[in-house]
Amino acid sequence: MTILAFEGLSKNYGANPALRDVSFDVPSGEIFGLLGPNGAGKSTLIRILMDIIRPDAGTVRVFGEPRRREHLDRLGYLPEERGLYTKQTVADVMTYFGSLKGLTRGEARRRALEWLDRVELANVAGWKINRLSKGMSQKVQIASVLLSDPELCVLDEPTTGLDPVNVRLVQDLLMERRKNGRTTILSTHQMNQVEALCDRVALINKGRLMVYGEVGEVRRRYSLPEVRVRARGAIPPLPLIAEAVHEGDSTWRLRLADGTPPSDLLAALVRAGAAVERFDPLLAPIEDIFLRVVREERA
Amino acid sequence: MIRWTKIKAIATFEFLAAVKRPGYLITTFGMPLFMAAYAGIVALPAYYAEKKDREPSRFGVVDQAGILRMTGESQPGTASVPEEVQRALEAAGQRAAIDRFMQSTITFRPFADEAAARAALAGREVKGYFVLPPDYLASGRIDVYEPDTVNVSMSDARGELGTLIRGQLLNGRVDGQTAARVLMPVQTTRAFAVTRAGAVKDGGKMATIVRLVVPIAFMVLFLMSILMTSGYLMQGTAIEKENKVVEVLLSSANPDEILAGKLIGLGGAGLMQIAVWFSIVLVGMVGIVPMLLTSRLDIPWAALGLALPLFMLAFLFFGSLMLGTGSLGSNMREAQQLAMIWSLTAALPLITMGLLIKEPHGMVARVLTFVPFTAGPLVMLRASLDPSSLAWWEVVGAIGALSASIWVALRMGARLFRIGLLSAGARPSLREVFRQARASP
Repeated sequence: MTILAFEGLSKNYGANPALRDVSFDVPSGEIFGLLGPNGAGKSTLIRILMDIIRPDAGTVRVFGEPRRREHLDRLGYLPEERGLYTKQTVADVMTYFGSLKGLTRGEARRRALEWLDRVELANVAGWKINRLSKGMSQKVQIASVLLSDPELCVLDEPTTGLDPVNVRLVQDLLMERRKNGRTTILSTHQMNQVEALCDRVALINKGRLMVYGEVGEVRRRYSLPEVRVRARGAIPPLPLIAEAVHEGDSTWRLRLADGTPPSDLLAALVRAGAAVERFDPLLAPIEDIFLRVVREERA
Repeated sequence: MIRWTKIKAIATFEFLAAVKRPGYLITTFGMPLFMAAYAGIVALPAYYAEKKDREPSRFGVVDQAGILRMTGESQPGTASVPEEVQRALEAAGQRAAIDRFMQSTITFRPFADEAAARAALAGREVKGYFVLPPDYLASGRIDVYEPDTVNVSMSDARGELGTLIRGQLLNGRVDGQTAARVLMPVQTTRAFAVTRAGAVKDGGKMATIVRLVVPIAFMVLFLMSILMTSGYLMQGTAIEKENKVVEVLLSSANPDEILAGKLIGLGGAGLMQIAVWFSIVLVGMVGIVPMLLTSRLDIPWAALGLALPLFMLAFLFFGSLMLGTGSLGSNMREAQQLAMIWSLTAALPLITMGLLIKEPHGMVARVLTFVPFTAGPLVMLRASLDPSSLAWWEVVGAIGALSASIWVALRMGARLFRIGLLSAGARPSLREVFRQARASP
């Protein structure tokens, strides 16, 4: 089921196009990676979704209907340019953000304290924000967004500045949301996170949608027909192998002949007597795909 | 569509954030203390000057004309009216006139000749002396001698000497009542005010003061709250820009709701501050209430009844404009400069007060009644000075114009507010403002 659909979105800032006829869907219950270099149009797209700016053309549909302001209570947003009221206490600020999402003050307060506990910051509820470290402040912001349990949540670089332990904590929270059927749009430049967390990605460059699809499918689409094989002894020369590169330690990277499925090669290797210990089709990393798409566009 | 739950959430947060600020608490409760201390410092010299005035002042008299018939130094309070005249005044039921003269602290010491008087002045035994020449009755001339330093009490003494001379000249020549009127032609006055309908009202000093104080207090209070609260409004917006919470806010509430919430929350904080100050002033002036009640004043009830609704409407109108315009500034100083135009507009009735008081129902006043920038203070002024000439439809028209303008101001303020919030760094140009205003939802 589609929870969000952008249809033909265009937006210009004066003579500069920020979005050009962008259309894609975000299925419900997924972690969706929104990728693109700086200035690609991601923030514009998110701002249009959150009704902060108006598109020149196109529509946004959420929860199966044209987006209205009332939908905003069911959306969460952690912008890239973000902050907190530095002179207020942590609990007060979180309560305020919760009440802005339609929770009563009492309920917002209760959830704020609960979420502080979840992000291991229960002891700072009464602290002024300006006492917090950068990492603490980051976790408070994430908790502030998630405490209203939004059905669809946009997180723009949520783990920037966090240590590995806290990165894992945030990743666990996102995976828990997915388990609970909640949808998260993750805008990030950390491609390892995209591979680890995202079900689907969209890559925008210069305002255009360049890549869209399930992570595995996208990686396959942009991968060369290669496999990595670990075997005892030598790899027999076969017509199905276009090129074999010895990487050392009994490991070879094999390029398949045109149109050869990896399963056929594995069967042929076994038939030829190769002692295969490991056989992995090679998928292009998301980072490589990102760089390739962006460089091709620049070229 | 405006959602009141959002407005309430924003208003509550802004109000609590403002009133918990140390700066707010210090200003709210420290300002009256500061003003009291300041008043004390200012009043101290005045107190000592007044105390000094109550001490007897001695002046010399050289009566070469022989009309004062003084046998020795006069006593304070009896200096100016001879005993015989006092008895005649009392017999004629003019005790009030005597009481008035008894308040004097000036005494006169007769000197046989000018040399003796001059020696006394040189030795600073007297504060000055008067010489009545032999031809005084014909010429009316008196020579005045005073120290070669500043001597402000000489003119008071001259007035007292005049009364002394009049008393002696009248002594035994006219009846007590006539003597009282010659000595004090205007002892008390009663003032009345006649309306256009011919009705006679109290026109005394107190009634006039009350009629003027109500609209002036309204305008001063209004201006104060506009300036103070807009400071809070702009400070709050500047903090949000600085702290980068703007996008989070805009993803939860629309600019109209944010603007309204801020106006109510921070406006409430500003009004509470002013209410605290006025409460302190009222408590301090509690003694004036019985005086107002006993003086049977014509209280401008219509104006007092209209004060609160007009105040709230005018505040919402100016607050929306100031917040919208102020949010375009890239820092607090720029914001204040941009919002200054509205402060000046709000002060317009105060600036033209002279003309408006002179002709409260003239063409200028009538036109300004329907101009949203001036409607509030103008209705207050006209309802205070002459409520019978203020038609009900003028009041309704002013409130209507103001209400409609609030809607426009809120819309306009909200758009500017959105542009201001989203524009980081330098202040957007006028062209950019128009472009973004067209593009914003």
